[in-house]
Amino acid sequence: MEEKQEEAVVVINMRKYICIGVISGLSIGFCSAQSTSQSTYKKKVLETIEVDFLMSYYTQKGEHAAVTGGVGNEKLTDITPTLIVAIPINVDDVLTIDAGISAYTSASSSNLDPFDASGASSNEDEEEEEEEEEDDDRRAYAATTTGSPWVESSGASRKDVWTSINGNYSHSSENRNKIWTANIGFATEYDYTSLGFGAGFTRLFNEKNTEIGIKAQVYIDAWKPKYPTELDSYLESGQNLNNGFFADIDILDQQGRVIDKNGSSVWSPLQTTLINDKSRNSYAVYLNFSQILNKNAQFSVFMDLVQQKGWLGNPMQRVYFSDIDNYYVGNASSISKYASPDNRDVFQLADDIERLPNTRFKIPIGARFNYYINEHLALKTYYRYYFDDWGMRSHTTSLEVPIKFAAGKFTLYPNYRFYKQNAIDYFAIMIYLSIIAINMV
Amino acid sequence: MIKRTAICVMILATLSSCVAIKEYEKMNINDPDMKLSSFSIKRFETNFQVYREGASGANGGKTGGGCGCN
Repeated sequence: MEEKQEEAVVVINMRKYICIGVISGLSIGFCSAQSTSQSTYKKKVLETIEVDFLMSYYTQKGEHAAVTGGVGNEKLTDITPTLIVAIPINVDDVLTIDAGISAYTSASSSNLDPFDASGASSNEDEEEEEEEEEDDDRRAYAATTTGSPWVESSGASRKDVWTSINGNYSHSSENRNKIWTANIGFATEYDYTSLGFGAGFTRLFNEKNTEIGIKAQVYIDAWKPKYPTELDSYLESGQNLNNGFFADIDILDQQGRVIDKNGSSVWSPLQTTLINDKSRNSYAVYLNFSQILNKNAQFSVFMDLVQQKGWLGNPMQRVYFSDIDNYYVGNASSISKYASPDNRDVFQLADDIERLPNTRFKIPIGARFNYYINEHLALKTYYRYYFDDWGMRSHTTSLEVPIKFAAGKFTLYPNYRFYKQNAIDYFAIMIYLSIIAINMV
Repeated sequence: MIKRTAICVMILATLSSCVAIKEYEKMNINDPDMKLSSFSIKRFETNFQVYREGASGANGGKTGGGCGCN
């Protein structure tokens, strides 16, 4: 933020997504006349107000949507405009306000209710509107009820807006060797709210060649949970398949036969309780150390210690168990190709929502090493090792080589990133091969 | 892994010797592309990675909190 700069950055990653961002840095000059009575000039930490406007466009494709149990359309589009304003309060202090919104459409979250707007789920607003005539409409719709994890639903959950605002205040000591910071922030989206606050301290010494820092951060978050529509409706109807949404809808077994809803083999969720603890809090401590090695090289190492408590699963995500019979709603002939994008009209009813332990302790450790090669080239490296008490281990590494041209007016940032992780202890892949085999017999 | 990282840090710290680089010698170190943190524009990419990947943190991004991810 100390530099007055105006630059445009275009980041294109062809692997999975395209992200285009633009930084527009504006400096609004304020009168900075120095008092003649001062005996020495003291440089401000930030000379003028700085305004950055950032915009991101992101799109992705995928075939492993978690909302539909790891099988299904992951198409997503997101636009995120963000405004960052840094204001010099006095010679030593800076206030930074950071506000942004993220508006997205998502095929996977649309399938919270794969049976579209007339489907089984009824959110809080709909509950208020439940009337007899609505029940009649549902019955008329029920005869043609279909859904698919591969088809984007037109229900309300297909889109959302995440909004956040953060304030950060920093104070630097007279000699700029000590920096104190404090921050507070709030974020909200349709099914989630977050209040965050924290404080940090940075100490520079050895003629500002060495820096150590510590920061503590707390997030007090809460779910406003939305559930897979069939689970929600099942509980609403008193766990009776002859009531509510399921009353006039056929439920199919693995062989595509319509089940007897009063029989002994019927679909029913594994558990009949949903979220009772809606909190999801995070407590983090960040540590960092950096060192200038010589005129052209410097490095840093950093570590986070993060404790999370509360509902750490995502209530939107369906879980299917391989040792529980499968049941479907839709076209029986499509069951054999359920895991294929060719399936456009059958949907498997969930066994449960995602349930995970209510605590998690995470430790990511990272390091950076930067080397200035010449006025045209620099080398930026990054490595991170991550582990937690859910059994996950991961390695992340990246290499970036900024290339300056046109006398430094433009910089190209080619980069390579590698990421690898194992599965947590509570994850298993749903194998659909066996289902296909059964249907072929 | 922690042990290895600690050893690497010690080696790098040793290599740096006791000679401090003076302010007027930091022209290359102070180049914007030499920052030991990500550019602001990287925050979006980091955010998408937090959603898509199991690991997070140690990169200036969130390590939990603020969204229904990770």
